[in-house]
This record gives sequence, structure tokens and C-alpha cells, in this order.
Amino acid sequence: MKAPFHPGDLIAIQVRPARMWTQSLSWVLFVASIVLYVQFSIARHRENPEDRVAPSLHQLVQGVKASVLQPAEEDDPVDANAPLFERVRHSMLWKDTVASSRRFFIALALLIPAVLLGLHMAVFPYAGAMFQRFVLFFDKIVALSLLPILFIVFGIEEWSKIMLMVVGVAPTLILDACNIARSVPREQIVKAFTLKSTNADVAYRIVLKQVMPQLINSIRLNLKPLALFLFAGEMIASTDGLAYRIAIMRRHMGMDIILPYLLWVAWLLFFVDAVLLFANRRLHPWYQPL
Amino acid sequence: MVSAALKPDPTGLIVPAAQRTEIALCDVSVKYPVSRSAAKTVLCGINLEIATGEFVVVLGETGCGKSTLLRLILGQEFPTTGTVTVDGKPVKGIDPRCGYVPQKYSLFPDRTVLGNVMYGPENACSRVLGRVRPSYWRFRRSLRADAREFLERMGLRTQDMDKYPHQLSGGMQQRVAIAQALMMHPPVLLMDEAFSALDPSTRASLQEQLHALWLESRPTIVFVTHNTSEALLLGTRLILLGRHHDDEALRSNITLDMEIPTAQLPFARRKQSSEFQDLREHVKLLAYNCSSMNREKGSPDLLSKAGDPQ
Repeated sequence: MKAPFHPGDLIAIQVRPARMWTQSLSWVLFVASIVLYVQFSIARHRENPEDRVAPSLHQLVQGVKASVLQPAEEDDPVDANAPLFERVRHSMLWKDTVASSRRFFIALALLIPAVLLGLHMAVFPYAGAMFQRFVLFFDKIVALSLLPILFIVFGIEEWSKIMLMVVGVAPTLILDACNIARSVPREQIVKAFTLKSTNADVAYRIVLKQVMPQLINSIRLNLKPLALFLFAGEMIASTDGLAYRIAIMRRHMGMDIILPYLLWVAWLLFFVDAVLLFANRRLHPWYQPL
Repeated sequence: MVSAALKPDPTGLIVPAAQRTEIALCDVSVKYPVSRSAAKTVLCGINLEIATGEFVVVLGETGCGKSTLLRLILGQEFPTTGTVTVDGKPVKGIDPRCGYVPQKYSLFPDRTVLGNVMYGPENACSRVLGRVRPSYWRFRRSLRADAREFLERMGLRTQDMDKYPHQLSGGMQQRVAIAQALMMHPPVLLMDEAFSALDPSTRASLQEQLHALWLESRPTIVFVTHNTSEALLLGTRLILLGRHHDDEALRSNITLDMEIPTAQLPFARRKQSSEFQDLREHVKLLAYNCSSMNREKGSPDLLSKAGDPQ
């Protein structure tokens, strides 16, 4: 039988909170943030009804409507009687999301070789000897400082932004993949060789397969740095994208657009993370995280 | 295929081992660098010939070089001086003629029990690109049936065969690890403290099973253990290793190398025999003396770890 809740449990280690408690506590900070924001917004609107720093709930709804149903200022207007799907497809939010997502997923795809390089560095000693020091050094270079070079090399179009993301995240991912692959017990590699495995078998069928869940987790942890470099690139030189829109709206103090965009970006990252987590669990049911 | 190879020996008694030398170590020494100018000698003056079909048990305290000896035969390490040969050929790398069962991490966690056991024979049959041929899939079906049969003989239930290693107990995992190695019919089986992490009853059952499997297919087994009873119970030959000291530059680590007389008795009666008890006390005393010598020389006493609950 479960022991009844005691206030002292809140700072105890050897307790197992009831499901009702864990669910309630996990939402407390969200509710508190919303309440605080509403209070702050009401206070500002009491002083200045036209305040744009903390838009009211009504202003936020109008902002969301404008983002989701109306095209950007620089685009042609859409017929107000057009079907909802058409209006959404030509909307500002849709256009920016597609532009940012394209860059994000191209960069993510370009990071796959980085993961493979990390694996090879761990498994093949000569590859490790060749790349380890260089990648360690490269990891210490602040990626944003490379942006002017990337602009010169790739121009100010798409590729400079994509390469900024790749250059920013790849070294960390390579080193992480290398460390993860090195954690495979030596006994298993030896055993695989006694079972007539080739070098390629050991690298791809033993080590890579075993570390795949941890590699996916590593990619999940790097989603935010990836988005950070995407935003940096888009804010500096872009004509579309989620960060570009936030940067434009900042000039107009358009918090009614910025706040929904901010939440949308967080939700998108959360969604990608959840998809990777789900795929990881489905594809690797044997994985036992520590 | 497998079942035929593992057909039981009708006599059930130990027959004298064949005299052909399977493993030979000649003047082997192993040194590890501890600093730029100094090296620590782990093994020294090892001269050993192991005949085909022998069950050699290597006993000794922690740090005496038992596992190093095993890794030399396996080809995972190379001697600083001397030569190691398996089946007359010098060991130049990890040799697929040797099966290997370590104490832990012996199974691939991403494969089911059946997947683990079938991994070796699948590799031996064809490379990845050859797996599109129908003949491969026919082979795989028959291999699957053989693997199931073998695992059943090892004491695994049908419902355990599609489980992942983490879903099995330690004893079951080691059974699968032994099956995984034996499915390749290796002429040499190297076991590095394979039963050390198991509880006494599981250990006893696995000892019996391993002995039965050895009787059936007679591979050459080199079994490393801390446990004196286990060593005397399983082996036909005992090698007691002592720790090497740098002030005894030429002394061999091999303190004792003897045929185990009780190996001639049926397995079930061995432990009860007075000869076995006397032998155990004798070997334990020898091991203790070795360890005492180490204590006098300032090495930590590790004999207690080689404790012998049986």
C-alpha cells in the first residue's frame, strides 16, 4: 500500500510520487509562466492600451491569425475567399517554416557523414590518428567567426547558412560519435572476429548497430545547437525563414508575431525530438539506457 | 549439422587426449611499458605445449597474467619475446579457429538469442552481398533449426530464444555465449573466467554442461579461473601461474603444470572423491604460498579474491 503524502516528501530522495503528483507538478511552471505573463500584460495595457511589448491575449490571437492565414508583406495577397488550405499554404508562417525546415534537414542529412567519421575514428586506429587532433582543434573554433569566410566561399544564398550549421555542429558530433563508439566493450569486437567477421562487419554490423541508439540521442541533443546556427545565419543574411521573420518583426516591435513564432519553433524542435525518440525506441527495442 | 557434430561420446569416459600439439608457446614473455624508460613484466619464461583435445585450466591470483596468456593464444596481444603457434601456425591476429567466451559482454545486445548464436555460421557461410541468393535463405532456415536444437540442449526454453540478452539471467547469457562460440565448431575454445560472475548453483550446472559438451566434440579448451575447485573439476591439466617479480628476471610464471589425476573419474563422482579433496588442499596451499611470497615482496594479497566457496 502506498504511504500517504507527507510535506517532508518534497525534499526526500527515497520517495516515489504518485502519478497524480508527477502530472500536476510537471505543469505547474507552465501555468505559472502563463499567469505571470497575463498579469504583466494586463499591467502594461493598463498604463498604455496600445502597448506592443507584452501583447494581450486578443492581440496574440490576431497575430497568430495574421501569421497562419495571411501572406507576408513582401508576397502577393491571397484572395480572402480562397479555401483555408490555400490561404495557409501561402501564409507567412508556412513559407518561413518550409524555408527554415529545408535548410535544417539538408544540414541534418549532411551531418550523417560526420557521425560515420566519428565511428571510423573509433574503430580504425589509423583514421583516429589522422582525424582526432584536427577535429579537436576544429571543435574549438567558434563557428560564427567562420561566417564571413562561409559567405565568401558559398555566397550569401542558402549554402552559407547550411554550411554554418554543419560546421558548427559537426565537430561536436564527430567527437561524441567517436567516444560512443569507443565505449563498445573490447570483448565484443574480439568475439566478433572469432566469429569470422571482417573489419567491415565489425565496424558496421557490430559497432555501428550497437551505438546507433546513442548516436540518435546525440543528434537529439544537437538539435538545439543546429537550430541556433540556423537562426544566426537567417538573422544575418536571409530573405525568408522563421528567424528572418523574427528579426524583421523585432524592428516593428511585433511581439504579437514574435511570441507565436517563438512557440512554433520550440514546438517544431520538440516534434523532431519526439519523432527521433519514438523511432529510437521502435528501431532499437534492445537498448537499455544507463 | 551441429547436432551431428555434437553427437555424444558413447563411452562417457575421458579418453586420453590426442598427442598432436594444438597450441604451443615458446619462451614467451610479455612486458607492458609503465613509463618511458620502464616496463613491467607480466609473463616470463612461458614454455607450454597443449595437445589437441586437452582441457587445460589456468589458475592463479589476480594480476598473475592468466588473461594475458589467453589473449596471446587468441591473438589479441603479441608476446614481447617468444612465439605463439596455434595448429602449427604462428598467431598473427585474432584467429577465427579459436572460440572465445569472456566473463561478460560476450553477447551482442542488439541481437536476439538466436541472432547471436547464428551470427558466426552466417558469416562463415557468405558475406553480406551473398545473402540475396535463395541458397543462403535455405541454409539460414536449416541453421535456425540447428541453433534452436543446440540452445534447447543448453537448457534454454523456446520462448527465451527470441529474447534479447538483457532479458536473460547471467547464467542464461553465459549458456548462450558458449553456444555462440561452439556453433562455429572451433578446434580451440578459450574461456576467460566465464563462470566467475555466476551464483554457485548456476555455476555448477554450467560446469557440468561444459564438461558434457567437451566430451562430445572434444575441442581443446583453455579455461582461466580463480577457483581451485572449478579448475580441478573441469580440467584434464592444471597450470598454476604465479605473479612475476622484476627481481627474478628469469623465473617462469608457471608454478605448477600437472595432469589432473581425478580427470579419469566420472564427472559426477569427482568432487566426492578423497583424491579430489587432497588435491584441492594441495593446490590451494601452493597458491597460498605463491601469494605469501607476493605479500613479502610487497604485492597486495589477492588470494582472498580467489576464494573457493565450493
